[in-house]
Amino acid sequence: MEKATDMEMEREEVEEEETESVSDVLRDRFRLSTISIAEAEAKRNGMEISEPIVACISDLAFKYAEQLAKDLELFAQHASRKIVKMEDVILSAHRNEHLATSLRSLCDDLKAKEPQSERKRKKTPRKENKATTSVVHILDN
Amino acid sequence: MEDENNTFDPDLIHAIFKLVWTRRALERERNDVADALDCEVGAGTSKKNRQTSANGKAIKLSSELLRIFITEAVQRAATIAEAEGASKIEATHLERILPQLLLDF
Repeated sequence: MEKATDMEMEREEVEEEETESVSDVLRDRFRLSTISIAEAEAKRNGMEISEPIVACISDLAFKYAEQLAKDLELFAQHASRKIVKMEDVILSAHRNEHLATSLRSLCDDLKAKEPQSERKRKKTPRKENKATTSVVHILDN
Repeated sequence: MEDENNTFDPDLIHAIFKLVWTRRALERERNDVADALDCEVGAGTSKKNRQTSANGKAIKLSSELLRIFITEAVQRAATIAEAEGASKIEATHLERILPQLLLDF
């Protein structure tokens, strides 16, 4: 039994090393995107931004992304789900009302782009109105 | 004038999330193995260890959230820099907005 555990531990170490190098690649790609976004935003404000500061923001944002992943997993788990949904992302922004509002309206935009969203609208008539369904069933388009 | 909407590639964000979730799943598996040595249950077969995944819209929203994080940081620091008459955002500007930024996110 002990040999099996040793082999498993070795396998886990190799997996860990692999995830570390994948992490480095992702971190670099992330930094490139951050540089582009940060410089564009600085320009929009009529400013320049110093390189070490962009690197600093990038590292911070990467850590935030990792923290976000952890939070999203916990929220989904809390709702007894294995799949993270938009509501989990919105929940993670709860500390800042502005942020939550922006995300919520983005969420609505994303939902509206779906062709199937008609069914999920809350304005579908209830069963009591069966008699008048012909009048009530005026859906857009 | 730039027309491009500067944002994170959703696939990149998805990859980062999957990395974190994989790491956490490995941790859980390791803890399960420690517990499972006594009983006959195989590690990794328990329901708890199926890996978390995300739906596409959640990833898009997360990408947007991260983009906002960057723009907020830059914008807030730019406001301080401007108030001081500087034309370049430096460490001292970032320093000052960092506490509130971290509290807001």
